[in-house]
Amino acid sequence: MKTKRSVSQARALWAEFRQVRFGVLGLVMLALFVLIVLFQPVLLSKADAANRWRDMTYWLDNPRYALPVWVNWFTGRDYAVSKIIPASSVVDSTSGSLRMQTMEFPYEFKAGRPPSDFMFKVGVTGRVSLAMEIVRPDGRTVTYNKSTTSEGSQILRISVAQNMMDRVFAMASSAEDPAIAASRNPRQIDSIAALFGKAQPGILSTPEVLNGTYTLRLQAALASPTAKIDSAELVIAGGVQGLLGTDGSKRDLWSGLIAGTKWALIIGLLTSFISVAVGVLYGVAAGYFGGWVDSLMNRIFEIFVSIPLLPILIVMSAVFKPSIWIMIIMMCIFFWVGPVKTVRSIALQIKETSYIEAAHGLGASHWRILFRHMVPQLIPYSFASMALAVPGAIVFEASISLIGLGDATVVTWGQILFDAFSSGAVLQGIWWWVIPPGLAMAALGMTFAFIGFAMDTILNPRLKTR
Amino acid sequence: MYWKYAARRVFYAIVMFVITVAIFSALFNAVAERVLRSQIREQVSAEVTSLGKTLIGQNRSEVLARVRVQRTAELTSMYHLDEPTLSRVFWRTVDSVSFRLGEATIIKSSAGEKDVLTIVGERLPRTIMLFSVAAAIDVVLGVWLGLRKARKAGGFMDKATSIGTMIVFGMPAWWLGMLLIMFFAFTLPIFPSGGIHAAPPPQGIGFFLDLLWHMVLPVFTLVILGFWGRAYITRNIVLGTLQEDFIMSARARGISERRVLFGHTLRTAAPPIVTMSLLAMVGSISGALIFEGIFSWPGMGNLYWQAVQQNDIPVLMGDLTITTGIYILALAVLDLVYGFLDPRVKVGGKA
Repeated sequence: MKTKRSVSQARALWAEFRQVRFGVLGLVMLALFVLIVLFQPVLLSKADAANRWRDMTYWLDNPRYALPVWVNWFTGRDYAVSKIIPASSVVDSTSGSLRMQTMEFPYEFKAGRPPSDFMFKVGVTGRVSLAMEIVRPDGRTVTYNKSTTSEGSQILRISVAQNMMDRVFAMASSAEDPAIAASRNPRQIDSIAALFGKAQPGILSTPEVLNGTYTLRLQAALASPTAKIDSAELVIAGGVQGLLGTDGSKRDLWSGLIAGTKWALIIGLLTSFISVAVGVLYGVAAGYFGGWVDSLMNRIFEIFVSIPLLPILIVMSAVFKPSIWIMIIMMCIFFWVGPVKTVRSIALQIKETSYIEAAHGLGASHWRILFRHMVPQLIPYSFASMALAVPGAIVFEASISLIGLGDATVVTWGQILFDAFSSGAVLQGIWWWVIPPGLAMAALGMTFAFIGFAMDTILNPRLKTR
Repeated sequence: MYWKYAARRVFYAIVMFVITVAIFSALFNAVAERVLRSQIREQVSAEVTSLGKTLIGQNRSEVLARVRVQRTAELTSMYHLDEPTLSRVFWRTVDSVSFRLGEATIIKSSAGEKDVLTIVGERLPRTIMLFSVAAAIDVVLGVWLGLRKARKAGGFMDKATSIGTMIVFGMPAWWLGMLLIMFFAFTLPIFPSGGIHAAPPPQGIGFFLDLLWHMVLPVFTLVILGFWGRAYITRNIVLGTLQEDFIMSARARGISERRVLFGHTLRTAAPPIVTMSLLAMVGSISGALIFEGIFSWPGMGNLYWQAVQQNDIPVLMGDLTITTGIYILALAVLDLVYGFLDPRVKVGGKA
């Protein structure tokens, strides 16, 4: 009987809710956010992006401050896209006692701007000598040699921007006007731009891009019997990468945004659920019991109301350095007061109805009256308050993170914004670092506002517009 | 009658302040004492060093050691640190309530003083200035828009602005601030990126113009996010009143819609609207704390930011105490204004 009635009540509520178009839109958006969380492993650009967000070694292959790839749609001179190129041919040979391995990595460069780095990455075990040669489309070459002396294994990264400046300078100087070439030194030029520049006067100062195939030839001499090289690849760190570009620590911002979605939902839903549940029960109890219980509960309520929220949360975070879970509890401690006043006044009305008196007359316990007769009536209201409390919780966590007090073991949108703000992204105009996290926060807030306001319209018939 | 109510409300506010400060003192007792002890150690060391310079004799080191022990004990007992926990918390509460907020560890006031009260005090007017200007503009715009919405409730304008309210509902003001700084200070540099004055600040009338120029961006950000919510609440209050019987009877008597709205409705709806407006100002005191950091506005909010970064616990505590005090005071003023506007409040036994 009981369940049947509540099912039909829920159905009636849903029928009304469906009429409010923005409410339905809110539900659809919420479903989207939940899908993002469910499909997080698929959506991340690298498998461990969420767990190793702060591990800078994990992101070394990426360019710094790369723009989002779709920027290329709007620009005439497009940026080179990041790419990882495996060896196209591997030839093993021996020369005397030396084992040799020759590899080729062709890079098809056809963009309006040079990439931000050209990097050779290889895993090396034992003593190995590497001879690298970059062959440009016009036949000019840049060479570089490197050998390892230890027997252990390591990952080598040889980058044009960091290791081959002198070689590139020498190559480019031969094409440059000798007077200009003499006045420059390798540290003053953009070596990547020179590497990808047309061999003509101006290559050092105002290089024009030279499109075509750039081939990296690698000859590895394996000196010790156990020596070997593996997972060799050519890493082109582009000017654009991923859906949202990269930040100042070379991290893929799209992955950060996806990883942050989960935490935003956890923080928002958990905080609002716990605090509204506590607040509703508190308000019902105060209204129902009345008398000195009500007075006492009111006093306690008022103490919590007179503490300014964000300052106390910030001071508590600064002093206690909480984890994300403790932070959620801290927010609940101060958030629960939200629905109390309204719930108490509704409870006072319900208490006077005849069926509550009838229940009293039948000898129902306080407990039963509270939980079977009063709380169920407040469930729609509770849902509305929960929906409206979610954005607040998310913004509060973000605010605490922005001051630098966030939990460093998780990725939240607020922490991405903290990184952006503290490294000056706002003043340098690195918009792709600043806009997306806030926009995501605003979108999630909007989602819950749509749902909450829709519930509010249903529950407050007075606000209906004819 | 009203004065009795007012006196009761003010007394109640003081009690609330004492209770909250007591809670803070208990909550942050350990860290506050750690800082205090290290401050005492520093002070004693400084005293002993300066005494050591004037002292000559064979038992010099003996005397100095004795002075050190003695002074440490004196100061420890002066700050009640030798007493049981409960009484230490009590004395800290007494100190905070009487605004003896101690000395900062790192942060200094613009005149170089280390007194926390001075540091917080010189920032208070700047915060109040910024946020009261923003809240005033915000409320005027919000009430105006809310009235228009309520007049043609369900119309296109009403629906469109309600959607606007929901769109900005979960948007952090400080994020919008970042975007505006990025745009107006980087892409189209017409406003300063932050601060309260150009360096060096101009003299005379230029001083105020410079101040206004620096206020444009933060105020604009606060208003553009704030007035939607204000409009929505005003609309709901007015709409609720419009459905009262006396409005229907006024309309039936043929009174013009304009007079119904401004004469009858607004008169009844004024107390909740005023409350809401004042609540907006109160809320901006605590809510916009991050905001000041973004705009490097040297107010109380920015002070939290600095104190956290430099781990200056006394300043953090002092700032919290003063913020809470202002917050409670504002809530009391709110009730007083409400009681003045709506006589039912002060008569009723239960508020």
